[in-house]
Formats: sequence, C-alpha cells, structure tokens
Amino acid sequence: MRIAVLLSAGLHPVSGAPVLPRVEAQAIRLAAGLAASSEIFGLHAGPEAAAVAEALGQGLDRIEHVAVAAGEDPVPALVARLAERAPDLILAGRRSQGGDESGLVPYALARALAMPLMPDVVAAAAAEDGALRLDQSLGRGALRRVLVRGPVVVTCHPDAPAPLAYAYGRARRGRVETVAIAPVATPAPALAAEERPYRRRPRIVKGAPAGGSAAERLKAATGESGPAGSGRLLIQPDPEDAAREILTYLRQIGVVAAPAEPKT
Amino acid sequence: MTSLMPLTTVFPGLVWLMAALALVQGLRRAALWRVGAAAPVAWLDGLAKLPRRYLVDVHHVVARDPYASRMHAVVAGGLLAASILTALAILPPLAGFRPYWFLVALAFGVTAVGSLLVGARRYPSKQKRLSAGHFQILPFLLLAYAVGGTLTALLLAFGAGSGVFGSVALALAAAGGLGLAFEVRHGPMRHAAAGALHLVAHPRPGRFGGRPDTALQPLDLDAPRLGSEMPADFTWNRLLSYDACVSCGRCETACPAFAAGQPLNPKKLIQDLVAGLSPAEPAYAGNPYPGGRAAEGERGALARLIGPDARIHPDTLWSCTTCRACVEECPMMIEHVDAVVSLRRHETLERGALPEKAVGPVTELRQSGDPGGRPLAARTDFAAGVELPRIADGGQAEILLWLGEGAYDLRYGRSLRALVRLLREAHVDFAVLGPEERDTGDLARRLGDEATFQGLARENIATLAQYRFDRIVTADPHALHALRNEYPALGGCYTVVHHTAFLLELIRAGRLNPGRLPDLSVTYHDPCYLARYNGETEAPRAVLDAIGVARREMSRSGRRAMCCGGGGGAPVSDVPGERRIPDLRMAQAAETGAGIVAVACPSCTAMLEGVTDRKAEIRDVAELLLQAVEAGR
Repeated sequence: MRIAVLLSAGLHPVSGAPVLPRVEAQAIRLAAGLAASSEIFGLHAGPEAAAVAEALGQGLDRIEHVAVAAGEDPVPALVARLAERAPDLILAGRRSQGGDESGLVPYALARALAMPLMPDVVAAAAAEDGALRLDQSLGRGALRRVLVRGPVVVTCHPDAPAPLAYAYGRARRGRVETVAIAPVATPAPALAAEERPYRRRPRIVKGAPAGGSAAERLKAATGESGPAGSGRLLIQPDPEDAAREILTYLRQIGVVAAPAEPKT
Repeated sequence: MTSLMPLTTVFPGLVWLMAALALVQGLRRAALWRVGAAAPVAWLDGLAKLPRRYLVDVHHVVARDPYASRMHAVVAGGLLAASILTALAILPPLAGFRPYWFLVALAFGVTAVGSLLVGARRYPSKQKRLSAGHFQILPFLLLAYAVGGTLTALLLAFGAGSGVFGSVALALAAAGGLGLAFEVRHGPMRHAAAGALHLVAHPRPGRFGGRPDTALQPLDLDAPRLGSEMPADFTWNRLLSYDACVSCGRCETACPAFAAGQPLNPKKLIQDLVAGLSPAEPAYAGNPYPGGRAAEGERGALARLIGPDARIHPDTLWSCTTCRACVEECPMMIEHVDAVVSLRRHETLERGALPEKAVGPVTELRQSGDPGGRPLAARTDFAAGVELPRIADGGQAEILLWLGEGAYDLRYGRSLRALVRLLREAHVDFAVLGPEERDTGDLARRLGDEATFQGLARENIATLAQYRFDRIVTADPHALHALRNEYPALGGCYTVVHHTAFLLELIRAGRLNPGRLPDLSVTYHDPCYLARYNGETEAPRAVLDAIGVARREMSRSGRRAMCCGGGGGAPVSDVPGERRIPDLRMAQAAETGAGIVAVACPSCTAMLEGVTDRKAEIRDVAELLLQAVEAGR
C-alpha cells in the first residue's frame, strides 16, 4: 500500500513558531500503524521544505517537496504529483493551524483527483482484500466504522492517537527530496472571507436564565436545576436496571442508535 | 612438593602464583572493556592521585557505615600486607629470617579477624541489601587463605615447616588464595582490581577535587550514534566502572524509586550493565527490581539493553528521578545517573521512545519553549500587583532574577512574590527577562532529549548576551544547575546564586532585618539539585537560624537527603509504583514533629504540597523570611 501524508507549514498556536501541525503528526502515526510494508511518504508544496522537516523525526523517512512560490496555489502542483504517484491512501490534517494553509486542500484534491474523501478519521486498519476499515469521529465520542475500497482521501481528527515522539536521530537520517513539477503558476484563489485575529467569546449556555441573581445563574450553569440535576440517582441498583438506565442515556445523547422498531 | 622445595620458597611462590592467576583473570575481563568507545584518560595524573582518591574520597563514603569501614580496613589491609610480605619472602635473606615470618603471621592473623567480620555480615543470615551468590563464598575463601597463611607463617617462624602439618596448612592457604584470585574475573574480588583502575581512569576526575562535578556531559549531536543502546556504546572506562560494583546495596537503600516500589534498583541496573557485557556472568543474587521482573534478553557487547523484552525494562529507565542519591552513596564512585541518561538519550533521540505521558511536555518544550505550552509572556503573571522590572527596559541590572517554570504555578507564585518583595525591601537592583525567558531545558535533558536542551540553551545564551548583569539569582535549583554547571559547555558562563544564598547575603549585609519567629518549628528539606548537585546545604539553614525558628533535622538531610520525586522528568513519566515518593518524604518530615517543612525548590513545593493528609505546612524559605521581616518591622 502506498500512503501519502500531506504536510503543511503550520505555526504553534501559542508561540507562533513554525511547527508541524499536531493533527498531521497524528496522521503520520495513523499511516505508520497501517501496515509495516506500506510505502509512506510526506508531500509538501510550498516555498521551503525546512518548514516540514520536523515530520522526519515523527515517523516519516522521506518527504517529497514540490517547490511552489509563496502566495501561489499549491493544489495544481499537488494534484500533478499525486496523479503521478497514485497513492492508495492520502492522509491530511483536518484543519489549518496558523500558517498559510486554508484547510480546504484535501477537499480540492479529492475533487481534482475524483477520489472519495473521508473526514475526521481517528483510526485506520487494513481489512481483507485491500479495503480499509476507518473509524470516523462523529463528535462527543461517537464513532462510525466505514469500510472503504480503492484510493481515498482521509483527514485525521484530533481524537486520533497522540503523535509519536520526535526523534532527533531519525530526523537526521530522513530525506527531503525536491520533486520537479512542470510549473503551473496559478494565483491562490481569492477567498471571499474577512480575516481577523481569534478572540475568545463567552459560551452561551443553552437554556440559561437571562436574568436572575448570580447564584441562580451559577445553579443553572452547574446543572443543579438543569437536566443533570433532574437525573435519577440509583443506589446499588440491580445490574439489569443500571444497564437499561445507561443505555437510555446513551440513546438520549445519540451515541447509541434508537432500538429498531419491532416488525409486526 | 615440600620435599622437593623448601616451604620458604613454595609459600611465597603460592602468592606469586595467585598474583599471576589474578592477572590472567583480570585480563580476561579487561578484554571485554575494549569493546567500549575510546575515552580520554589522564593516566599519569590519575595514578598519582590514586592513593588520595582511595584514602580520602572512597573512605569518606565507606565510613558512613562504621562496621563496613572497620571490616574493610582490617580485611583488605591485612590481605594486602600479608600477601605482599609473603611475596617478598621469595628473596632468600628474608625467607631465612625467622622473625620476619612472625610479622607475616601477624598480618595473616589480622586478615583472619577481618574475614570473620566479613562472615558475620552474611551468616547466619545476610544483611538485606547485600547480594548472595558468589559473595556468600567470600568469607570462606578469605578465612581459608588467612588461617592457612597464619599457620604456615607460624610454622616457618618456629622453623618447623617441613612436616605434614605444614603441607596441610599450605594447602588450605592455596585453596583460599587461588580461589580469591580466580574470583577476580566474575566474583567479589573483581571490585578490588576494577575499583582501583576505576579510581585512576574515572570518567569524572573533577569530583575528586572537592567540588561537585555533576553537570551532564554534552552530547555531540553530529555523532554517528546518539546515546547508548548496547554495552559497546559506553566508553571503556564506564564499562570498567560498572565492573567495580561490589553489590553492597547502599544505592538501593538510598534510591527513592526503589523505596516507592517503582521498578528501579540502582544496584540491579549496574549489575545488568555488567551482565549485559558478557553471557558468562553468573546470575544476579541481590534484590530484584520491585515488581520482580526476571532478567531476560540477550547478552553481549552488541545486545540491546533497553526494551520490554531486553534486560532492562523501559519503566526501570524512566523511574529514575536523577536525584544522585545512589551516586552519593556509592563507595566505588560509580556514576549511575550518567548511565541512565546515556541510555535515555538513545531511547529518546534515536528511537523516539519517550514514555507516553512525557511526549507532550517535551514536544511543547521544543516548539514553544515551555513544557506546558503556555505563553512565555504569562510567566510574569504571578506578580500581578507587584512591580517587576524587565531587563529589556534598562538593558542592565545588578541581579537578573531567573523565574523558571515554577512561575506558572499558582502555589509557587506565592513563593516568588515573597522573594520579589524581599528584594524590593532590600533595595536590590534586579530585573527579569520576562517574555524573553525560555525554559532552561532541564526537563528535556534529563529525559534524554539533548537536541531540545541544546536548542533552548543556545536561545537562552543568545538572549542573556544582550544584557548586562552581575549575577543571576534563581529560586529554582534545576535552573540554577543548568545555568551554572551545564551552560558553560555551550558557551554561557554566568555567576548563578540560589535565592537562599542571596537572601543570606542580604541578611548578613544588614539589608534585611528579620524579626524572630521562635514559635515555628521547621524542618528543612534539601533539594537534590541544590544539595547533591551543587553542595549547598548551609545557606538555607543559616537563613532559618537567622529568623530564629526552632530547626529540626530529618534523619536524611543535607547531601544525603531523600528526593521529593520531582526531578529527572519522573513526574511526567509517571511510572507506577506501590507508594509515592513525596508521601515517603513527608512521613520522614513528620517524624521530626515539625509543623513546617521548609523548601527551596518549585518541584519540591509542588510534590510535597501534593501529599494528601499531611500534617505539616509547606513553606518556601523566602516565605518564612518575609514573614520574619514583616514581624520585625
């Protein structure tokens, strides 16, 4: 199996230092865990390969670097290279992390290469006859298992296993190969969006009373009078009852599907 | 035999034969050290200083156990004297001089007394920390050699050396003596040969100069192999040093991880390095790693040492708090911590095999300069409401206050605020780096990530080069050790003072006038990185005495204090044990009955304050001094 891991030049969310985005490091771990015999390589399109060299210490042996001038759209270059290498699996991060990435590249690639895209994957395993068994995160711990055949683009979710530790010695041994691609100079698509720095905003608590005293609002926020406060407290219940109660709750929050309607 | 040759020739001949056998056995073992990497050794200097290193430095450690000290003086002194005197008797004038044989008999007699002392430690039941195995035969070999030698020498002294009795006595001496010589390769007597050579070729000759030599040696990051994976990766004199181990078990009684039931026993670790070198090594017969994991895995100079299926489990490696208690207690001057760090370097740098929980902090250190990934500008948040000058504003200050990682901690912020207020009170011209201060990289270095440490160190050195200051004061002994002892190798030389020493200076200069707090009973907990790594145990105590508190000492204090469990990345590695190290230390503090445990390190503060159900308060020396200064107004 040939696996390409897309690497982007991210920035550390706190220090602003150039780093490999965490979710892409997690994607490398997913790839490394798939099969020992896989050919895994990183792929980066950008002006500098140094920005992603860190990935060599986190499980990749080889990175292909496609030189693209700053400010240009990397998608055509990536499409050209990926069409040439024809990997069975393309792994990417889920969203951008501070750098020049838009977070849209996996989608643009999937469209250009006419491949299916499976977002938010937390685990991957090889199934029989070349298929892939992917666990997709649906949020709040809910997972969906998907069986995929044929080449696919997969984005990695932050709930996937934590990245491998950076090993300086491995980074030293890894190779970055610059790949020449016939230049297709296309300016980056202008996104009709306004950019402004992130500002933390207070979270609106659903169903919180707008007025009332501070004590009342605290009570509402800590759930003493909310749905959590109104739950049933079972002390040393019968295991059957406890299991039923847990199942009911899991269904209520949507982790477990509702029981099938009995067929009459 | 005696009918062919006189006993006066055969007896000295026996000693020469023993020497030859010991030499052969020693050389067979020494051939293994040659697989190690090359190391620069100042041979002549080492040889010239051998007697002093043995009689002063080694004796200083051995004498902490008075029984062992007396036992060793008698048995080793007697053995050496008796053997040399007998060997000299190969010269005919001495051999024929009967009073000389009285002298020899006396020396052998002393050895015999010593062998009984050796035996008394092991029979009827051996002390818990000692190893059994070949060591259990040692008293018998010694006794046979000593008694046989005494009898033979006495017979010669009385001129009755030709009878059957003489042959029997000689045979007894030969059995014991040749047995001892044979044991130079694998048995207890190896410690004598390897130990003497180890003192000459010690990898840290600086530690015999009277000042602690504790800085980790910088790793050449361009070397073809990083750290130690197998015995052959150690330098030859390190391999030699592990062979010097006499399995006395003093390290295991001092080791906090062993006491807490974590899978580390320093003696077993060193013995695993010894056994890893040669498949012929007899089985280890001391206390195992807690948890009782049996020795497994391949042996040999090229066999991997660390791994779930190798001789040393990774958990053993990551249990070490690098507190140096084992090094401090080792009478053979073995550097356990260097071995641990060297093995960790390979695991981290070459294999990326950090403990799962340590990956996050080390990654953040590398990417953001703080193990918690917190903004560097938030380091001074603790000082809200207290004026904290930035050195960038003036470009210079008399004192640069290094805040360290503790500044992010809410509890430790209180200690730092107390320190800052004391500095203001004394009108000290000080400043902090503020957002320009990065972590010293101590955590990364102890966890083997030398690349991250050197990166951070270079950035910090470049920052410090921009400003003019006389001295650095820090309340964090880990930062102090890195800045004072480890940055010089990377080109940053500073005068670094611990806050307790600086506060003492201010008191002595009359710039702080503390009142007295006689109602407080205080016991002081020595931080490893201040006491053992830097030999500073007096200043904090002097500050406590200056404020008149009732000071009590724990049974383990000063350079022999027990670790709080917070060093060496142990809290982030978090290897499970049966107990927690800080709980053990607080129990020791409770024995003194003191109501306050005085600390002088952010790690100790956090670890000891985290003990549940503790009866004593945890207060930094600076907090106590501030209280005294406020009381004295």
